[in-house]
Amino acid sequence: MIQLIISLLVGVALLASLYFFVRRSKPSAEGSAQQLREARQTLDSLQFGLLPNDLVHRIFAKEDLEYVVSSAPADVQSLFLSERKDIALGWVRRVRGSILELMRFHRGHARLYAQLSAATETRLALNFASLLALCRFLQIAVYLRGPYAAPGMVRTVAATAGRVCNISEQSLQFLKVKELDPLNNTPSSHGASV
Amino acid sequence: MSYSQTNTDVEAAADDLRRRTLAHMSTYLERMIYLGSTRDYNSGVYYHDGLASRFSEMVACEALANCHRDAFHEVLQSSIENLVQQLDSYVQSTRSAPLELIAAWKNLQPYRVAVPAGTDTLAADFLCSNVKIALAIWESHQDGRSRRQPDASLPQLPAQ
Repeated sequence: MIQLIISLLVGVALLASLYFFVRRSKPSAEGSAQQLREARQTLDSLQFGLLPNDLVHRIFAKEDLEYVVSSAPADVQSLFLSERKDIALGWVRRVRGSILELMRFHRGHARLYAQLSAATETRLALNFASLLALCRFLQIAVYLRGPYAAPGMVRTVAATAGRVCNISEQSLQFLKVKELDPLNNTPSSHGASV
Repeated sequence: MSYSQTNTDVEAAADDLRRRTLAHMSTYLERMIYLGSTRDYNSGVYYHDGLASRFSEMVACEALANCHRDAFHEVLQSSIENLVQQLDSYVQSTRSAPLELIAAWKNLQPYRVAVPAGTDTLAADFLCSNVKIALAIWESHQDGRSRRQPDASLPQLPAQ
């Protein structure tokens, strides 16, 4: 009797997993378009918002620390370190979040649209894994020792994220947000209004 | 009007704005605050009568928005030291009482509304954080000066 119940439970579990698998493997056209668009936006946000060299350099610039230490009282120095730490942590969190979103997109949908080779996919998977681990280490380092704790790791994160963006770019090249939405291509939408 | 024609007009209007108006402002911080103030907070649309009469309202709006973004980017790229200098110039250019201005900036944080639309939140937070630090440093420098000045200007007591 017990064996029968166990067999039935296993059967039901298998059927349920099969059902979910079938449901997941047939994304709707609208859903897929939405996910493609979101992936493109995440990529743009990384490339133009978070990873530009000048922004990364400025957030982690040691010259600011040197200036503040040499010309401001102790309370302003602590304010500076606390503010910069928040910004640095925010930067790492955003980069990590965007990388996670891109990874989810690649895992779930990229293979349906892109002609990625096995070698490229393997390289991408390795880059994703190392980048997520690096971001976590950097978060811990900044949290414990402040924004200037690991400048080398910051450079590595930015460089690896740049590589991941380039590979993702190849798989999303056919989709540009501007091309997708011609209404956004009019001159009046170039930031003139909220 | 074609897109390329509009684009050329916007560039011409932005050039005009830079030459006639922005050239009189010595720092990017001042330009950013000024350009932010030309925007209607309810609609997000920029207005400039002179520019609109020479070009069109839409072209003027685009030109102001472009210059605003440029100024914001320059302030964002400024080091803290440079930002303190810009703040000092800005305080002098407004001719208001420095301590009153600092108190108002610390309480009202007007630089928060001077961020262009569509700016990445991290960039906006970074700029506000830098201005906050620059304010604190500038204030500490003022405190140092005001502490030194009264001492220097105290009337000499007659020798006993």
